[in-house]
Amino acid sequence: MKHWRRFRKVVVGLLRELADESAYDRHLKAHGREACGAEWRRFSDERLRQKYSRVKCC
Amino acid sequence: MRAIEYIFWLAIAIVAAVCLGGVALYRGEHINSIWLVLAAACTYATAYRFYGKWLATRVAVLDDRRATPAERLRNGHDFEPTNRWIVFGHHFAAIAGPGPLVGPVLAAQFGYLPGTLWIVIGAVLGGAVQDFIVLFASIRRDGKSLGQMAREEIGKLSGATALVTVLLIMVILLAVIALVVVNALRGSPWGTFTIAATMPIAIFMGVYLRFWRPGKVLECSAMGCVLVVAAIFAGRAVAESATLAPWFTLGGSTLALAIIVYGFFASALPVWLLLAPRDYLSTFVKLGVVTMLAAGVLLVRPELQLPALSRFADGSGPVFAGKIFPFCFITIACGAISGFHSLIASGTTPKMIAKESHARGVGYGSMLLESFVALMAMIAASSLTPGVYFAVNSPAGVVGAAPEAAVATISGWGFPVSVADMSSLARDVGERNLFGRTGGAPSLALGMAHIFARTGGGRVLLGFWYHFAIMFEALFILTIIDAGTRVGRFMLQDLLGAVWKPLGRTSWMPGVILTSGLIVSAWGYFLVQGVRDPLGGINSLWPMFGIANQLLAAIALCLATTILLKTHGLKYLWITCVPLVWVVTVTFTAGAQKLFSGVPAIGFWAQAEKLSASLRAGQVADAAVTRALIFNARLDAVVCGALMVLVAVILLDSLRAWTGILRHTRESTLSETPFVASQMGAEEA
Repeated sequence: MKHWRRFRKVVVGLLRELADESAYDRHLKAHGREACGAEWRRFSDERLRQKYSRVKCC
Repeated sequence: MRAIEYIFWLAIAIVAAVCLGGVALYRGEHINSIWLVLAAACTYATAYRFYGKWLATRVAVLDDRRATPAERLRNGHDFEPTNRWIVFGHHFAAIAGPGPLVGPVLAAQFGYLPGTLWIVIGAVLGGAVQDFIVLFASIRRDGKSLGQMAREEIGKLSGATALVTVLLIMVILLAVIALVVVNALRGSPWGTFTIAATMPIAIFMGVYLRFWRPGKVLECSAMGCVLVVAAIFAGRAVAESATLAPWFTLGGSTLALAIIVYGFFASALPVWLLLAPRDYLSTFVKLGVVTMLAAGVLLVRPELQLPALSRFADGSGPVFAGKIFPFCFITIACGAISGFHSLIASGTTPKMIAKESHARGVGYGSMLLESFVALMAMIAASSLTPGVYFAVNSPAGVVGAAPEAAVATISGWGFPVSVADMSSLARDVGERNLFGRTGGAPSLALGMAHIFARTGGGRVLLGFWYHFAIMFEALFILTIIDAGTRVGRFMLQDLLGAVWKPLGRTSWMPGVILTSGLIVSAWGYFLVQGVRDPLGGINSLWPMFGIANQLLAAIALCLATTILLKTHGLKYLWITCVPLVWVVTVTFTAGAQKLFSGVPAIGFWAQAEKLSASLRAGQVADAAVTRALIFNARLDAVVCGALMVLVAVILLDSLRAWTGILRHTRESTLSETPFVASQMGAEEA
């Protein structure tokens, strides 16, 4: 059961990381802000600008 | 190591040796794919446990007392110490593209054996070593990129050359993967509708995320997945509708134009609207389908129908021309060794590594998993009957345009197939025609559909699974096309900004439109060339892409060799020199053959000469088309030559640097960031 819980935690963590949701949580924590539409748009614009200035693998 | 561990690893190594030996030497009727799976899994496990560990402890000397850039430069954005399994998954998702799926399918024309051996051995001794050492080097240099590290460790010339090489490779890559999509969707209303539907779905997701439920990416992606599956079911209805089907039954040129226009808009539109939501969706679909394929192969354990070694080892293959050496080794790049991985290993990943020791699992381990994905693709393709495989993958220019002519040619090679078989298969998967569907995607989709259908649904769901596989391939290929066009635009703006400053500003709309247009025109030209090529386009473009990708690997291995030379002298140089010498030999041989071979199907110049002779003799149907083909063959030769020259420059620059280091005429200090003790406990990492 313990292993299953750990596995689940890692899978959910990976999905949230790939979805940038963990990065958003970190961003809110680092800047001491609340989640809202404007804040997501600010975070997302910067995140996506960086993300899509890098080469994607073949 | 305890005795029980010795016995365990000895047993694993023996299983690996027996299975590899069995696969290599067995020449019976058919072999079960489980032999390949076991051979690969046990080889990977042994390599990871011993070679990977040795590289980590003795060569790289990973040190967990040293703070990584993720810890030192932590900013909650790029630099963030992350759980090792999450980084592993993140890195794997970033390196897994269409390459490891399409390459093995094309190389299966030689039989399953050469490709399988290259996938397993190449990954263990080459690809994983390259990825690990570049990742380690970037961790020790604040997460710097390959180009920056090449400039610092080898010289300015190598750094600048690497940038131009990457831009050129991007153009070829985007053209060839776009061609794969065009060939998969040509004349397929079901496939075309499904892929077209992903665009409004992505835009809906973009608006949903931006305004309705900001930040709920997983929720939004789950909805996107449901809508995409619904689109596949709707695609069947569209294909069966007499009114709608003609709208979505498109030829190669129209599809190519549609993708070019799409690439332009995707590059110029705000990323949140189309590119980002589509990327989220394609990442999840990609990971899900790769897992499903691995599970399917393990459950079904299909028998391999293709021979171990086919008659086309002699270079006369219909899928692409050229002998096993060197063409098998450039056709399968991403599953064995891929230069592109070095860009990822020196991109986001090093900024997320919490402890240096995690680099082994992430760098070396992810590449082994990617290699396993390539093996799954090889199994899926090899589980098709040879006649079907060659009927799908052979261009009309080689086997004949009429189905009767194609089956006669293919059966004449000793791979029996009939028009009735192909028609029945096409009906089963909801397609009108499966002849000449070159590019690898349709045959991979057929193999996957058969495997998935055998795990549930049977023949009834064959059409759904086929289009599910096509959707999966096209979805993430299109994501690479739009993201790649955007990156190419940034690179071009960087270069042009030096000439005239406004062109370098990414927010200046005329500059954005001009550079987007230039990049799209560059890869679009090669795409159209591939679509119009009577030999199917893949014959000339895929080898060029393979050469380009492996040349990028040569650059990464030059950097890795320089770092090892500066760290250990000559002692461990063989670790990167062996794969470097192999990659350089293979790519330069392939490049030279593509340039100078006297066989028109292989050599660009010979092809141009043959066409010119036909033109002079008045033996061509359309003089303008033939002139265009001649120009294209010469252009391909020039691009291929340019790539070889660029890498020769980096090789010579590296040799100069290595000689200087060995003669003590050049500084041999590494550009690593100074040691800072880690404050992070093991439980935090």
